[in-house]
Amino acid sequence: MSKMLMVTPGRCIGCRTCEVACAFRHAEAGVPGRSRVQVRTLAKDVWVPILCLQCDDAACVQACPVSALWRNAETGAIEVQEDRCVRCNVCVVACPFGNMTVESPKKAVIKCDVCGGDPACAQFCPTRALEYLEV
Amino acid sequence: MQAIGNFDELKKYREGLVSARDPKRKVVAVCTGTGCKAYKCDDLASALEAEVVKQGLSDKVEIVPTGCHGFCERGSLLVIYPDDIFYQKVSVDQAAEVVSKTLANGEILEELLYEDPVTGKKIVKESDIPFYKHQQQLLFGPGRRIRPTEIDDYLALGGYEGLAKVLSEMKPDEVVELILKSGLRGRGGGGFPTGVKWRTCRDAPGDTRYVICNADEGDPGAYMDRSLLEGNPHSVIEGMIIGAFAIGSDQGYIYVRNEYPLAVSNVHVALDQAREAGLLGENILGTGFSFDMRVSRGGGAFVCGESTALMASLEGFVGEPRAKYVHTVEHGLYDKPTNLNNVETWANVPLIVNKGVDWYTSIGTGDVSKNPWGGSKGTKIFSLVGKVKNTGLVEVPMGISLRKIIYDIGGGVPDDRAFKAVQTGGPSGGCLPESFLDQPVDFDELSRAGSMMGSGGMIVMDDRTCMVDVARYFVKFLLDESCGKCVPCREGNRRMLEILTRICSGQGVLSDLDLLERLSRSMMRGSLCALGQTAPNPVLSTLRHFRHEYEAHIVDHRCPAAVCRPLITYTINDECNGCTLCKRVCPQKAISGEKKKFHVIDQDKCDQCGVCIQSCKFDAIDVA
Amino acid sequence: MLNLDINGRRVTVRKGTALLAAIREAGFEVPTLCHHEALEPYGACRLCVVEVREEGRDKTRVVTACNYPAKAGLQVETESEAVVETRREVLDLLLARCPGSPVIRELASSMGLHRSSYPPDQNRDNCILCGLCVRVCEKLGFTAITMAGRGAEREVAAPLKEPPPDCVGCGSCARVCPTGNIPLVDRDAMRRIWDRDFEMVRCTSCGRAYITREYLESRVEASGLPASHFELCDECSRSRTAQTMYRHMVLDDKEASHE
Repeated sequence: MSKMLMVTPGRCIGCRTCEVACAFRHAEAGVPGRSRVQVRTLAKDVWVPILCLQCDDAACVQACPVSALWRNAETGAIEVQEDRCVRCNVCVVACPFGNMTVESPKKAVIKCDVCGGDPACAQFCPTRALEYLEV
Repeated sequence: MQAIGNFDELKKYREGLVSARDPKRKVVAVCTGTGCKAYKCDDLASALEAEVVKQGLSDKVEIVPTGCHGFCERGSLLVIYPDDIFYQKVSVDQAAEVVSKTLANGEILEELLYEDPVTGKKIVKESDIPFYKHQQQLLFGPGRRIRPTEIDDYLALGGYEGLAKVLSEMKPDEVVELILKSGLRGRGGGGFPTGVKWRTCRDAPGDTRYVICNADEGDPGAYMDRSLLEGNPHSVIEGMIIGAFAIGSDQGYIYVRNEYPLAVSNVHVALDQAREAGLLGENILGTGFSFDMRVSRGGGAFVCGESTALMASLEGFVGEPRAKYVHTVEHGLYDKPTNLNNVETWANVPLIVNKGVDWYTSIGTGDVSKNPWGGSKGTKIFSLVGKVKNTGLVEVPMGISLRKIIYDIGGGVPDDRAFKAVQTGGPSGGCLPESFLDQPVDFDELSRAGSMMGSGGMIVMDDRTCMVDVARYFVKFLLDESCGKCVPCREGNRRMLEILTRICSGQGVLSDLDLLERLSRSMMRGSLCALGQTAPNPVLSTLRHFRHEYEAHIVDHRCPAAVCRPLITYTINDECNGCTLCKRVCPQKAISGEKKKFHVIDQDKCDQCGVCIQSCKFDAIDVA
Repeated sequence: MLNLDINGRRVTVRKGTALLAAIREAGFEVPTLCHHEALEPYGACRLCVVEVREEGRDKTRVVTACNYPAKAGLQVETESEAVVETRREVLDLLLARCPGSPVIRELASSMGLHRSSYPPDQNRDNCILCGLCVRVCEKLGFTAITMAGRGAEREVAAPLKEPPPDCVGCGSCARVCPTGNIPLVDRDAMRRIWDRDFEMVRCTSCGRAYITREYLESRVEASGLPASHFELCDECSRSRTAQTMYRHMVLDDKEASHE
């Protein structure tokens, strides 16, 4: 059995706690990183948190010319091996869901890695719009 | 010619060649090496041939245009066998006289004889000339008797007998063992035991193996490999075939620089002949062993003499070295086990096979019976150049002293100047002072003295040579030839040159010497390939043996050898008789004085070009 | 698996591991400038030097960790006197070459080096010739730029120093450059790099120019992914995803209310 981050858009209240939690969990040397989850406002009182779906047949993995993206066997999440990334940004364009992001100072690509099996977003989401569940 | 199918046929073929030759027929060996070519030796050989025909001596005399004889300074040169008469500086228009007088009547032409610069006596026989007398031309000798482009000449001398012996009597392992026991060490500079290299390559896993001949000799003033390859290409090819058999290779490469057109062309001819004779290619001498090779021409980059850069170049990439923590004998050309040896190393192989380990190890230093690093065996060819009377290529037994090479063979320093230093090992070698002259010349002794054997360059310097300037020259060369890939070599050489230039112009400070030493240490430790690792040698060895010259430049603002222009002054002394010559030649118009009156140099105008001192016939100009 | 000793700590690594990886795995830091995990070791910057003693040998030697294979019984010192001196000298030389590069200055001062021992170069850019740009370009299959010249004249250049015909304007070279020395300018849906102008593709939704046409075409071909994957910029892809999810949610709700 593996776990997945499940989104229930109707529960999202647009508080963006997930974004902050993500940024702090991926902080380096005390500086928060860029968030891997983004909350989108679709209409008045309608929000959707967007994050990587960890596709089975992932376009990012297929597009990466240097095999810097690989699936963590334990968590099932696709991870970026930052020191292998050659900053070609092809995955950013190739992902049909827009879930690859470029981090500015290092110019490397970042994405949701389910925090290695303990995703901060789900942990801190006050309304369980994000949940880390067995599937 | 018909392919030679087996060992018997080879023997018979050789016997046929030998018996067809008339032993009473005189042979005129005309050196047609590259050095003599500049003296129009080819025209001389044709003129001699034409004269022989014209004077009806064709059945009594044979003109043989041979490989290099080594005494390049005296070209064009020829030797008449069997009398061993040595003529030097022979011009084309003297050909008729040589034929009519010496060849027809046995009359010696005094004006063509060599005059010993030490005793002033004329010498008739080549073997009596000091330049040759103290040499032991094991590798070089045969090439002086044969036409490089005639395989028959090589075969008549016993060529490819070593190959036949190996293929008929020995197993590959035994050949490797033989080379190991002979103590042969790489002549390209490293001095790595050839047998150890062969064994590692043979034992490396994989089916395909390559052998390479490194003929990318590029040291300034050195041309040993070039002459060997030009003069006796078959000896190198035979060595490579034997090596290929021992190592288990079926493909070889000769990487030769394109600036050696004669070597390139002679090697091509020799390979074609060897193939035609059944000595190269499929099923060599009917034994089932197959091996062929190709010639690859290098573009003349010094760094391509480094084995990994050479292999990159062979593969069609830019000739840049890679760090070889995994050795090329295991992962070399196309990532296959590859054995690379230099021209001279390969040429030693047939010799060792033919004459045996006991004979070979009797020449040289140390004991290699237990440890292949235990000594230096065989001979070494040096290119003896610089401030020495007899310049040329000399082949001497390992262990000979520097003094013997420079004074007995080289005839010492010309113009009665004092000897100052000898630079061995090419640009990355070191400069040794007079106190090291009795040092035996072998791999380990030279390294201990702070220099190295290198590929065999030997540059003699007299008291007019500035050692700081010498170091600067070599660093400049190495900077130009550095591929520029790694930081210590590219930036280090650049900074080293900067500091040395500073010192040479009188702008140096004493702490520059510490900086040079510190930078040297890091370059030696940190550079990617041997070029950068050894680049500080000229600096370190001159700092070690001639530190006072550096200090004179820095502290006294003086160049003791009067070479570094910003640090020297020309003055006119009491010998001046007012001839006005210096005044007339001075390009700066810095000299004034009336006819028959004492002249003066205006130091503000003088730019230290030295034209005045060269023109003065009365030693009236001093430089300090 | 093989065991080696790094700074006195016993470390077990897989056979074939590079020494640099073994050192970093063991938790020690070694600086590098030319190394990249996706590329073959290059061994040019010489910052990753370490001192090793091979099993059965008396002498130690200084080697570059990036291309030295981890060997059984190897003793490794990452901060020995020889190592620190060599590394410092390399930085001293680089600092003189690129006195204006913050990356080099920071690295140098981390080793206590605030001024170079050599006169700083004037009018030189911040290229340290680490070769990352050239090698990444080759790795991506373009080989549009290369190393030209040798010795002190060595430089990164396009063939014949003309605008490189094989460049697709992907910009990877500019992004991997450790000193940020390769200029890349995006303006008015055009990208300028290596003296060449590239037409950029606009997002079919928002109109933002987000990739050069040549790069897009080459990547569609190389990845085997449908071209439709590349039609939107990442922001618009994200918006589309949000809308899709929202639609599903509304549909789900409707279905739920029907039950």
